[in-house]
Amino acid sequence: MAGLELLSDQGYRLDGRKATELRKVQARMGVFAQADGSAYLEQGNTKALAVVYGPHEIRGARSRALHDRAIINCQYSMATFSTAERKRRPHGDRKSTEMSLHLKQTFEAAVLTQLYPRSQIDIYVKILQSDGGNYSVCVNAATLAVIDAGIPMRDYVCACTVGFVDETSLADLCYAEESGGVSSLALALLPRGGQIALVQMDARLHQDHLDTLIEAAMTACKGVSKVLDQVVRQHLQEGSTLRE
Amino acid sequence: MPTDTKRVRGPEVSQSPSLFDCRPSVVPPSHGARADGRQRDQVDVRPVFVRCGLVSQAKGSAYIEAGDTKLLCSVYGPRETERKDETDMKCGRLTTDMRFAPFSCPERGSWIQGSQDKNFSLMLQESLQPALCLHKYPRSQIEVNVMVLENSGSVQAHAITCASLALADAGIEMYDLVLGCSIRQDGSSYVVDPTYSEESNWSSSEHQGGLTVAFLPSLNQVSGLQSDGEMAEETLTAGIRTCIEGCYKLYPVIQQALVKAVRRAQPPPPES
Amino acid sequence: MATVKVSEAEKVYILHGIRDDLRVDGRSCEDYRHMEVETDVVSNTDGSARVSLGHTAVLVGIKAEIGKPRPLVPDEGYLEFFVDCSANATPEFEGRGGEELGIELSNTLYRVFNNKNSIDLKGLCISAGEHCWVLYVDVLLLQCDGNLYDAISVAIKAALFNTKIPRVHMSSDDEGGKEVELSDDPFDCVRLSVENVPCIVTLCKVGHRHVVDATLQEKACSVASLIIAVTHRGTVTCVKKVGGGSLDPESIFEMTEAGKRVGKALHAPLMKLLQQEESLGKKREKVGFLG
Repeated sequence: MAGLELLSDQGYRLDGRKATELRKVQARMGVFAQADGSAYLEQGNTKALAVVYGPHEIRGARSRALHDRAIINCQYSMATFSTAERKRRPHGDRKSTEMSLHLKQTFEAAVLTQLYPRSQIDIYVKILQSDGGNYSVCVNAATLAVIDAGIPMRDYVCACTVGFVDETSLADLCYAEESGGVSSLALALLPRGGQIALVQMDARLHQDHLDTLIEAAMTACKGVSKVLDQVVRQHLQEGSTLRE
Repeated sequence: MPTDTKRVRGPEVSQSPSLFDCRPSVVPPSHGARADGRQRDQVDVRPVFVRCGLVSQAKGSAYIEAGDTKLLCSVYGPRETERKDETDMKCGRLTTDMRFAPFSCPERGSWIQGSQDKNFSLMLQESLQPALCLHKYPRSQIEVNVMVLENSGSVQAHAITCASLALADAGIEMYDLVLGCSIRQDGSSYVVDPTYSEESNWSSSEHQGGLTVAFLPSLNQVSGLQSDGEMAEETLTAGIRTCIEGCYKLYPVIQQALVKAVRRAQPPPPES
Repeated sequence: MATVKVSEAEKVYILHGIRDDLRVDGRSCEDYRHMEVETDVVSNTDGSARVSLGHTAVLVGIKAEIGKPRPLVPDEGYLEFFVDCSANATPEFEGRGGEELGIELSNTLYRVFNNKNSIDLKGLCISAGEHCWVLYVDVLLLQCDGNLYDAISVAIKAALFNTKIPRVHMSSDDEGGKEVELSDDPFDCVRLSVENVPCIVTLCKVGHRHVVDATLQEKACSVASLIIAVTHRGTVTCVKKVGGGSLDPESIFEMTEAGKRVGKALHAPLMKLLQQEESLGKKREKVGFLG
């Protein structure tokens, strides 16, 4: 462990949160007028911008089209100034490609793609400022953008990154915790049915702890879903009052 | 970073010995005659040598030499366009590629096209496009390749002239020739068609900059304009006028070269 | 979207409107659209700004890093520009689609700043020939609705104004080795003077007139445009013709004059706004993208 005490004896984390406490989530839908759907989401200091185009005709090779459902096309990128050390390329490196793939898989599980055969839905996510939990913030932002675009989904997809340290699971890790040697797990959940859209862990963890960790992640995701629901309701209310 | 795997590259960290030259660099005088004897504040372009049809494989080609600046341009096409997904198929497409030979500048360059070269290519394309009757070449593309063999200043301007000559040599239909001219403003005085040392050695005075203009002489249209450095608006307008004047000076020379090329291609029928 | 399709009838409508100094959105030929500027939006940077101009939105982040001065100018720091045309702006930019435009924009920015007065480069030098500050100016295009150059240049000026470079000093140890030492106080910063930083004005030639701050529809009606970078004193640091068409010399002279006038007028309100925002300090309510 990198010398940092991730969980104090009193049960407080580096940034003063309790173990199960989430960071403050703030979001806004409909940030941009030109895209079909867009959303901006801040989770603590991690800030992401998601934009959705489509469903539209397949761009490029027609052969990619699926006759019974829409294909989902994702691109994840990070602003060159988003991290503490400047990134040389915003996208195209191995990590972003992997992240794009994960996003694609998550949303294929959530969006009702069979409603749009032979078409394409583009989801582009940009990290403006990175402070841990990039995957989950992207998923949360993209969910809002997809809803803003009016594309039907089975449910909100909510994601959260959780970690396990000193026999305790920590919800919604920040960068210092992520890099501090915690075994972290990212989970995307469709909260109403309790279905898991994606789960990913690439660290060492004893098998006995896995269930508790997943349980903690699911609780955290449900917490996020409440916030997202509120944002969507508020956005719709604003829209309807404007129209009156 | 794109890396070149086909050639043996020099050591990664090497520097030209000229950097370690302890002598103070010769700052060209900002008044009086220029190093090569030309006049300051006058439209005094270097004498140019132009010749068409040097590259036999190309549809059209041209070589230009102005002072020590040497450029070679070849034109290929019109041929079927590579990019089929382009929506605008009614017009032909002009692609330009301008490269510097690694030995062309005092400092050795790389074989890979840098972003500065792309900047040159883009200006070349934007300057040539208004002169071409691209609507006569639907679904096809015309490629212009410029290789700078020796860079002794005003490369962009001469590349434009050379490329338009090569296009004409290739028999591409054009509204007009495109001529390029550049000046370097230094304080209150200016030099036309600057050499490499005049371009790179700036005296410390304020208000100096470079300006390159591409001009269609018989239509009286400016097709390319690019400047950097600092200039007052009045100097800028005066500079553009000077460049246009410079282009007119170049015009007969280019016309002659073109006529010569056409004569050579089709010798007059022998009198019987 | 980077390009729009405009029908012939729409073109005629726009052209006739501009001829009578009345544009589709009610502006006259030398008016800008509504512009929003906000600084200090990304905390991971040393300076940042967000600008929206109509539907065009850009975000600029500046990071200062310590590097080695260029061998030709050992006593100066330097600026690096990078423009990221993200897929957020338009799906055409996905993958490497935005690279071409990004290079074009960043090359123009290098040209605009290629002079001695825009930024005090000597002030960025820490020790001659060894260490200097490199300012990475990263521009992120979030939405394109015409007039990218103007929006980017305003955002860069605002971000440079906002930039806080940590104060460093050289210390030498016993063996004569030099070391860069960062000040202990995180608020001990150097600010840049942005007085001479130019703003870019793009003039679009539509019909026989030119317009400032063209929308994509207006841009589709024009053959060529001229970009002019002007400082607050009216000095021109860059002119460039962009687009596939040509312009006659007289209209170029008219356009440079108009560009100088518009550009000069742009600086004062921008500086006032930036200073006002600065004076609020911590009390300022940050809007960001949530507003």
